[in-house]
Amino acid sequence: MNFFVADPDWGGWIIAYFYLGGIAAGSYFLAILIEWFGSEEDRPLARIAYWIAFPLTVLCGLLLVVDLHRPERFWHMLFKSEVMEAAFADGFPFRAAGWRLAVEAPAFKYWSPMSAGSWGLTVFGACTFVSFLAAVWPQRWPGRWLQERWPHRILQTIGCAAGFFIASYTGALLSATNQPLWSATVWLAPLFLASAASTSLATLGLIAWWKNLGTPEARARLEGAEPLALGLELIVLGAFVASLGDNLLPVLQTVRGNLLIFGSLVVAVLVPLLLHARVGHRRWWGMPVAAVCALLGGLLLRYGAVTTPAELLRREPSTLVSFAPEESRQVGERGADIGNHGAVVQPRSKFTREP
Amino acid sequence: MPEAVGFYTDTTVCIGCKACQVACHQWNDLPAGRGPADDSPEGLRRPYHSYLSPSETGRIPLPLLSGNSYDNTGSFSDVNWRHVKFLERFSADPDRSQAAWLMMSDVCKHCVHAPCLEVCPTGAILRTEFDTVYIQEPACNGCRDCVGACPFGVIHMSAHKGIAQKCTFCYDRLQQGLPPACAQACPTQSIQFGPLDQLKKAARARVAQLHRQGETRAHLYGADDKILGGLNSFYLLVDKPEVYGLPSDPKVPSKSVLGSIFWSIFTGFLVALGVLFQFRQRTSGVRGQESGVRGTPNQESRARPGQEGLP
Repeated sequence: MNFFVADPDWGGWIIAYFYLGGIAAGSYFLAILIEWFGSEEDRPLARIAYWIAFPLTVLCGLLLVVDLHRPERFWHMLFKSEVMEAAFADGFPFRAAGWRLAVEAPAFKYWSPMSAGSWGLTVFGACTFVSFLAAVWPQRWPGRWLQERWPHRILQTIGCAAGFFIASYTGALLSATNQPLWSATVWLAPLFLASAASTSLATLGLIAWWKNLGTPEARARLEGAEPLALGLELIVLGAFVASLGDNLLPVLQTVRGNLLIFGSLVVAVLVPLLLHARVGHRRWWGMPVAAVCALLGGLLLRYGAVTTPAELLRREPSTLVSFAPEESRQVGERGADIGNHGAVVQPRSKFTREP
Repeated sequence: MPEAVGFYTDTTVCIGCKACQVACHQWNDLPAGRGPADDSPEGLRRPYHSYLSPSETGRIPLPLLSGNSYDNTGSFSDVNWRHVKFLERFSADPDRSQAAWLMMSDVCKHCVHAPCLEVCPTGAILRTEFDTVYIQEPACNGCRDCVGACPFGVIHMSAHKGIAQKCTFCYDRLQQGLPPACAQACPTQSIQFGPLDQLKKAARARVAQLHRQGETRAHLYGADDKILGGLNSFYLLVDKPEVYGLPSDPKVPSKSVLGSIFWSIFTGFLVALGVLFQFRQRTSGVRGQESGVRGTPNQESRARPGQEGLP
């Protein structure tokens, strides 16, 4: 792991975005799959996802804007600011010259997860908006229009892809850095996706149970899907931990690293699985408590994943300076290999002589 | 088209005078006296009042001493675009009879495959005609992706401007045919500026000279394309890169994207399979029954008290 980096200081807003964005995207993704594979009586469950996905997506956009140090420049994520300024100077949107420049303004870097994510969130927001309108006012436009086969299919296909993307790209965004932990694995994106599936199933199940939506059979099917998602999350969490290799030890020496691995394992996966297996069939509170645990665990997972590198960096200073002879002597006596842990000094250098 | 230029820093002749840091501050009008970076270990221990600006306190705060040798800036920061490192090393014997200093003036590496430039979503970070990496201040929106991507901890956020800050390679001076302020101020020519080809030739000659003199560990860091395609600011080191606070194998951020995509698609496929299994199978079962029974006794018992039998 590289301990010589600076902390990007992504905190509460980003954690909230990763969490709520995961629920919104996961719900929407699952809703479309339920519409594709499920029966007519499962539709009310899919509609819950359409109700919650759009408000959550709007909230996610606001969280991202607030997190920027220059929030008034949020639109720079989508458009090249200098080109847009030139386009406005040339009379955009009232003159053709302005339009000629404006068409060159979109800023899309497919190789940058943040750039791709900005566009992905825009597309996802548009899909959730249309689905939200159709769910709330099914007899008005666009609800009536979506009763046609092909418009519905097209929206579902684009929305499903966008939902899948939003649920997983946040992990890829973290991996595409040089931060300790994040850059050490490619399993953050699948882990966030699996967690999005389990937390969104928990959300849908909880709302369906609370509002008594859908038939008991449909609710039972939704409830039955949750252990499958939790099992998948368990497997992906295992793959994530295994992918860390030698980097696992420093991670386990941090409080947040332990929250990430053991906190998520217990709260997000094992307790809900246990509740589903042992209590869910016997007590009315089994499913809701399992769902709340899965939701809390999902939050814990994001919190741990986002904040562990900052704690690692605090423990392993990024600059290599030390004026502590006692420390250096201890290091020398132990004969420790400093590896890339820069805060300690090497006992031998080209300037020292052999005794 | 101007030719590619760079820095060659020979750490064996650095005397730690910090003239480069002072010249950088002067030319770029960077404020002094803030002490260690806010997020550095030293910065975290600073008293709160030392962060306040002169307008808030009515006086200019004095620089705080870090306690780390002669290094009182601690690391790069939004106002410290150069950082002179003092690496003090002692022998392992009880009397610490041998002591040595390594010094190094560190700066943005202006990488050929610059991670910051690669991830920047706004296009604020660009490559100039001199092959240097430059942040356009009016375009940056403070997303901090570049801060996380830089493997050298070079980029920091300006609390005052709300944008990313780092060495500009004195772009304004280059445009006028002047060398960067730090290179011009360096009294020992530890920092050399010029066309990259010439610098690399001089650096290799210096390494060969040191090897002849018995310093066989002398090597160049970033002069070839093994590190991020090459560093336009490269170094002559006499120890492992990590000793100088430089990562030995920094990565290009996009390297992990393909793996993330592959495993995400695989996981997404399994999620879809799970939904298919759960909803298709049970639906077929329910359809097959055609009995009109709405759920099993167990499923009914899972409803909240008072909700049993609700449609």
